[in-house]
Amino acid sequence: MNEENIRNNLLTVKNLTKSYPDFLLKDVSFALRPGRIMGLIGKNGAGKSTTLKAMLNMIQPDGDSVYILGLDFYQNEKKLKQQIGVVFGGIDFYPMKSLSSITDVTRRFYPSWDEKRYEHYLSLFSLDEKKKYKELSNGMKVKYLLAVALSHNARLLILDEPTSGLDPVSRDELLHIFRKIVAEEKRGILFSTHITSDLDRCADDITYIRNGSVLKSADKETFLHSFSHLQANEDSAPLTLEEIMLRTERRSFDEITL
Amino acid sequence: MKLLYKELSLAAHPSLYAFMLLGCLVIIPVYPYTVIFMFGCLAPFITFMFARENNDAWYTATLPIQKKEIVLAKCLLLTVVQLGQLLLSLPFAILRNTLTIENNPVGMDATAAWYGFGLIIFSVFNLVFLPAYYTSGYKAGVSFLSAMLPVILFMAAVEILVHFPIFYWMDSTSPEDLLRQLPILFLGLFLYVVSMAASYRIAAHRFEKVNL
Repeated sequence: MNEENIRNNLLTVKNLTKSYPDFLLKDVSFALRPGRIMGLIGKNGAGKSTTLKAMLNMIQPDGDSVYILGLDFYQNEKKLKQQIGVVFGGIDFYPMKSLSSITDVTRRFYPSWDEKRYEHYLSLFSLDEKKKYKELSNGMKVKYLLAVALSHNARLLILDEPTSGLDPVSRDELLHIFRKIVAEEKRGILFSTHITSDLDRCADDITYIRNGSVLKSADKETFLHSFSHLQANEDSAPLTLEEIMLRTERRSFDEITL
Repeated sequence: MKLLYKELSLAAHPSLYAFMLLGCLVIIPVYPYTVIFMFGCLAPFITFMFARENNDAWYTATLPIQKKEIVLAKCLLLTVVQLGQLLLSLPFAILRNTLTIENNPVGMDATAAWYGFGLIIFSVFNLVFLPAYYTSGYKAGVSFLSAMLPVILFMAAVEILVHFPIFYWMDSTSPEDLLRQLPILFLGLFLYVVSMAASYRIAAHRFEKVNL
């Protein structure tokens, strides 16, 4: 990946590595351009969340380079975090605090905070600021975090399993919001999920992580094409992401001793 | 300041403020005042547990700050609580002295030496508790117990010490004895600053390796 590409990319991850006693995240590399949604897929435990956390320095990587907006993330962490919105599905904080209390603190950390924009998103997502965080449904929590991220003009949204545990209507609504977010061509979304049907509908690029390594990272068309060898004669339609994952990961039950 | 604001409005357990106010116990004529410092150690313990259960470190890590500033925020909070507790006790200690209440029979009086020993007690607590907690980022109980052991020993030593006639001046509120005690107060202040700086550096270094 040359320097010009790194400058033009919203996010560039090179050789991200993290070792645990029983797991190794090895040389994960991919890039996200502005105006695009990248889906990070892989089965549970493949290393999707570890990748996102290591990228954000929430866990200490063993070796890597992460560039956001062309700058080295670890050397410009504070500055670049102003441009990032983070939404990790399933991780709650301050459940007894109201949204207004949490926002009151959050906004102080962002000089670019746009209060009017925040109020606009609150009303768009039908969020009541007086509600306690624990009173929100999972879908509303994701919407609240998106509202916060968009109010400080985040250009890169990093979402970990944002649609997991949501009903089909809420998922559809969120996917629609994601497309709207990247429509301006300056923002991008990195979106990890094991619900591959969501990515069939909204992703531009796919990165597939398997056992801690990137199996393939490409735009969706190239990605689907590169797995055409998995297509069987009896398949009447092209393989979906789910079929690709299933055929790559599935072990025959005959191999397993029950 | 925004880190401290975050601590006070989101992370601090309400009991923290109550413990701070307990500095006023120095007005009680008969009370082991050194116990007040234990409240200054209990307050961070409860708040750290509260913060852990509320995923405070995670929320803070998503803000535009560096990981070490998560530790810095807690150090600022501890400084406010512990020094705040001592400052809040000051008018009550002066009032007690003005009312010419007899010498406290169950322990040290709130003298300048007592404040100095309090600062040393907090220094010892912080130096053990903060690095121990940030080694894992979640073991508040074990860290508290390891810090309380030297704290209790030191507290006991101080209380025993002032019962020896040679050290009676430490328990006296007469102006000349208070002047004599000032070096202990300044030593306490010096140790508190050094200990907090060292605790922050060690804790922040250890926390870099903790996986959130």
